[in-house]
Amino acid sequence: MGERRTGLHALVGAYVLDAVEDGDRAQFERHLLSCDQCRDDVRGLREATARLAAAAAIAPRPELRQSTMQAAAVTRQLPPVVIGERTAATSRRVRWPVGRGIARTWLAGVAAGLAIVLAVAAVLLGVHAGAMQQRLAATQRRDSAMTAVLGAHDAVILTAAVRTGGTATVVMSHRARALVFTANGLATLPGVRAYELWLAGPAGVTPAGMLPPGHRGMSGPMVVGGLAKGEQLELTVEPATGSRQPTSAPIVRLVLDS
Amino acid sequence: MRGQAGLRSGDEYGNVDVVAGSPAGGARRPGRASPAGPDALQAALSAVARGDEAAFAVVYDRAAPVVLGTVRRIVRNPAQSEEVMQEVLLEVWRTAARFDPTAGSATAWITMLAHRRAVDRVRSEQRAAQREARSAAAEVGYDEVTEAVEASLDRERVRRCLDGLTELQRESVTLAYYGGYSYREVAQLLGVAVGTVKTRMRDGLIRLRDCLGVE
Repeated sequence: MGERRTGLHALVGAYVLDAVEDGDRAQFERHLLSCDQCRDDVRGLREATARLAAAAAIAPRPELRQSTMQAAAVTRQLPPVVIGERTAATSRRVRWPVGRGIARTWLAGVAAGLAIVLAVAAVLLGVHAGAMQQRLAATQRRDSAMTAVLGAHDAVILTAAVRTGGTATVVMSHRARALVFTANGLATLPGVRAYELWLAGPAGVTPAGMLPPGHRGMSGPMVVGGLAKGEQLELTVEPATGSRQPTSAPIVRLVLDS
Repeated sequence: MRGQAGLRSGDEYGNVDVVAGSPAGGARRPGRASPAGPDALQAALSAVARGDEAAFAVVYDRAAPVVLGTVRRIVRNPAQSEEVMQEVLLEVWRTAARFDPTAGSATAWITMLAHRRAVDRVRSEQRAAQREARSAAAEVGYDEVTEAVEASLDRERVRRCLDGLTELQRESVTLAYYGGYSYREVAQLLGVAVGTVKTRMRDGLIRLRDCLGVE
């Protein structure tokens, strides 16, 4: 017991530096809930890391300012946590979002996580705010599968660079056995070619849908359901009519069981 | 200086004395991340929580350079770093109402979001075996981070305090914070035991905290 506690206490530095893996993080955060001193320590050490961050400051390109403002203007904010709702058991959890909880808080609003991804994609690509609004509205009208994924408590977000340019983003819920795929900055393909998604698993590779023709490199959102354990999501370039099996090497691969 | 009784850097490792307190001329003002001080950022943040877009511009001006700098150290690729920076700022906008000033400074909260998201970004790429794509992309247009903002004072102070750490402490802290490596990876890189790295990270941060005079 004593041994175990010291082990956990030693983790405070690695925890504050985000140098822990998920298992350690979860264990340390459980420990934090019952250790006032540790929370004080975490707070003090975090202020020290904030100074490390300040020392690394660099000026962003001026044009990023306006595009970020525009993206904020079309992004709904989370309401505050109402004091009356705080119970002794949960108040510590909500006071200072620690660990993976942050990602979940971030994703908690239905469709809002995706809205941010789209908003960022849109500003980076210079999509007009009006078009953005329409796109967000369309997104929010999508079918219940998407709502189920984005609203799921176990939703996680994965991002990866696409080898031929651009970024792929997946919001996934293991419980809903589904994911929502978006991409931005994809290279424009000639009309006879298109991007196709695949699920690759122990049982082989199955088609998961063609990406609709993108608007200025932005594509999706697409819902992919029926996920099985051990599968990966892959994106390839195929003839515009689609293929039964991939005919080229994946340009991005996302491992889904995290 | 509450809350510091519990954690002291480890004498059991035979470390030299901690250079605590104020180095020459250094004011013991915590969280000095911007000229007008941390309170301005915090005030702006609470206005942002009420949907004030002008206040968000203030938050952006104060926080964006720190966010971008932190993210860029880890992600390296300039375009991806800008993307992550914007995601972080939007997250600040979106979740401003959930920020609790009693749990830490606004700067600490925002830099935590930034650091965590940058680390998540590189680790998910790692998981997806995208590392080579990242380094290939990083070669294009990666210029050494030299553009200084008003951070030079902070930078000097931090450098001095980092110099006060043992080499192993310093490397453990900087590989984790600026490199985005996990403690296991740091252990591998430095060729030392995992447990050693954990304690060096803790002791190094404690020294840093004491030297910087943050609370």
